[in-house]
Amino acid sequence: MKNSRTALFAVLAGVVLAGCSSTTEAATTETPSEFADLAASPACTELRAENPDLAGKTLTNAINPYTPGYETINPENPSEYQGFDIDLGNALGACLGFKNDYLSVGFSELIPTVASGQADWIISNLYATEERAAGGVDFISYSKVFDGILVAKDNPKNITGIDTSLCGLTVALNKGYVEVPLVEAVGPECVATGLKAPTVSLFDSSADCTQAVLAGRADAYMNDINTVNAFVAEHPDELASAETVMLDYTIGIGVPQGDHQFRDAIQAALTEVQASGLQDELAAKWKLSENAVAAPTILSVG
Amino acid sequence: MDKFLHYLTLPWLIDGMLFTLQLTLYGFTGGLFLGVLLAALQLTRSRALTAIGRTYVVIYRGTPLILQLVFVFTALPHIGITLPPVAAGSVALAMNEAVFISEILRSGIKGVDPGQSLAGRALGLEPRKLMRRVIAPQAFRSMVPALGNEFISTMKNSALASVIAVPELTLRTQQLASSTFDYFSIYFATAVMYLALTAVLSIIQLLLEDALNLDRANRSLLSRLDFRRRTTTPTPVVTPVVPAGPQVERQEIGDTVLDIRDLHKAYGANQVLNGITMSARQGEVIALLGPSGSGKSTLLRTINHLESVDTGTIRIAGQTLGYDESGMPLPEGRIAKARIDAGVGMVFQHFNLFNHMTVRENIAAPLRWIQRLGKEEAAERADALLSQVGLADKADTLPHRLSGGQQQRVGIARALAARPRILLLDEPTSALDPELVAEVLGVIRGLAHHHGLTMIIATHQLRFALEVADRAVFMAGGVVVEEGSADQVINRPQDPATARFVNAMQLAAG
Repeated sequence: MKNSRTALFAVLAGVVLAGCSSTTEAATTETPSEFADLAASPACTELRAENPDLAGKTLTNAINPYTPGYETINPENPSEYQGFDIDLGNALGACLGFKNDYLSVGFSELIPTVASGQADWIISNLYATEERAAGGVDFISYSKVFDGILVAKDNPKNITGIDTSLCGLTVALNKGYVEVPLVEAVGPECVATGLKAPTVSLFDSSADCTQAVLAGRADAYMNDINTVNAFVAEHPDELASAETVMLDYTIGIGVPQGDHQFRDAIQAALTEVQASGLQDELAAKWKLSENAVAAPTILSVG
Repeated sequence: MDKFLHYLTLPWLIDGMLFTLQLTLYGFTGGLFLGVLLAALQLTRSRALTAIGRTYVVIYRGTPLILQLVFVFTALPHIGITLPPVAAGSVALAMNEAVFISEILRSGIKGVDPGQSLAGRALGLEPRKLMRRVIAPQAFRSMVPALGNEFISTMKNSALASVIAVPELTLRTQQLASSTFDYFSIYFATAVMYLALTAVLSIIQLLLEDALNLDRANRSLLSRLDFRRRTTTPTPVVTPVVPAGPQVERQEIGDTVLDIRDLHKAYGANQVLNGITMSARQGEVIALLGPSGSGKSTLLRTINHLESVDTGTIRIAGQTLGYDESGMPLPEGRIAKARIDAGVGMVFQHFNLFNHMTVRENIAAPLRWIQRLGKEEAAERADALLSQVGLADKADTLPHRLSGGQQQRVGIARALAARPRILLLDEPTSALDPELVAEVLGVIRGLAHHHGLTMIIATHQLRFALEVADRAVFMAGGVVVEEGSADQVINRPQDPATARFVNAMQLAAG
């Protein structure tokens, strides 16, 4: 009796120790040879010479890995991350001489995580807005934003965009995404025409939002068009994409506010990535057919 | 189903389960340490410390855990404290759990019968020992189910650490669901994993409860797990009323050992003792009579300073108890020492035996803790006293298995163990069924006028008082109304209040 108890505690202790021994976060997915051409380019060679303190370092990339195509874990090997943003981050790292590891945080925690120094930068399909920059980061743009509207097959509610066609309907959205204020802004227009404002249902991940549409709890879900297309491809008999809307935003890389040397290095490396056509290649690789390169301009409020 | 099994056995998710377990253990263990501290803060007499404790409780109970997690992870770095995710998650969980655990601890401690503490103090246990030896063991037993619950609740709460990058089960589930579109099979697999963890924790809780179960006797864990009910056949209680102790020559009454002067004591506006003056001599037996609420119990408790007094003095063998030379109250630790030196034993109306110890241990353990007797000597003295009160065969029994009369005889044996010079008996038979009164009175009768023991007995048993008491003191309204020989006060009362009381008692006794 006493022995069996001791044994049980021993097993439990073993379990805990096993847990301790595996505290590493998902490992880096970069393959050194993949971006060898880029790294060997004169521009990158020069940038590495100008930024010797980045050489050989491992930077922590804060990500919110719930957007298929941009960043998710690799289902075949869940300890790796994959997607367009992951590759882009590795390309920039190859150009500047650093490697990446990752910190997977809640979407709303992305900026506080970098602002507090828990991570070094963000490449996570994050739209660059002034409000977000005010949280303590500078943005370097890399893509334009096209949103798709995910609806039930055949668009039974005739949704035509982020407009009064949403009146009285329920829209599923990711917590903290830029679409939230855009949809909310439609409310007064609806009320003015005697209709009810749209109801916004907020979720943590795009998978949760899509489930809401599949379950009939929401009439529409808005996110990046490529993400929406991926969900439609997965459920072709149940879902459709109603409309593509171009939003007045760009997707940006977040770096700590005030660290201008790092920001400028990233901007220069990104310029080279775009000039070499690598960004288009990566978009094609991840089937981001609606990805349009945005010039690497800087958004800073600091 | 295939996918479900695939995810159920996916090493990456199982690894996430270990993070969940790790976070739970760190959070709970840390919470336990902080919770003990927090409960202690709130149970001290210091108002400032209590206020600090309460403030912490209000803040941490009143804010969402998710904000606390984000705070530890992303706000503390701004003041130079950067914790990695697992550490940040553990710290935040521990700080949150501390509040709930401290409340469980407090309710457990407060739930222990105050009589236990009273009995421990009367024996001379200092506060820390009292907590460790008497209160905490009993409180802990009652807290195990609530703590088990809190452990599981910690595990569920640990899922929120997914927002600060702790790679635990929920985070990995969400990541996997987002990358594969296999939404339901993943969530079901995760649910099964959480259930498995909960089952393990529940089994640990059951094992712990089993180990702490005082009534367990020799039942194995297996017998607990099979659900057949076992009926424990109660042993018939056959207790011959044994005349207590060897018959010793009746001893003469000696000098004054207890001197009480002009004692006043009030609880708020309620004046309980209103100028009591009385004394007792060595070997004297005094019956303290009076209606309920007349202040008898309070008077007895002020004698060994279980209650403080407002004004007046109590001297035992010339020494005051509970105050220094200048009349300032002593700290409880020094009062405990003074009680031992004064040699005052106490028997309570509700026995107040230590419920978590056998009958022998009730007597022997305080001898070891307080009088520093060796293990064997203490056990021998306990056995001798148990024979004296006719309970030698009950030495290994737990108090709650004894009849009230038997418990009270153990209570008397315990009070005698340290060989007191004064024995205070606070209505020793009032809580007993009528047929059990005689055996207890028999024991007390056997003690009277032997060994030079001074006894003050608060009682309603007039016939008994007549038989054993040298003197009777009749109290009403917090004053001594009448005192004299027992025969005089009971059979020929001078004061109308005494007469009324005596009549009422005799009518009730039939």
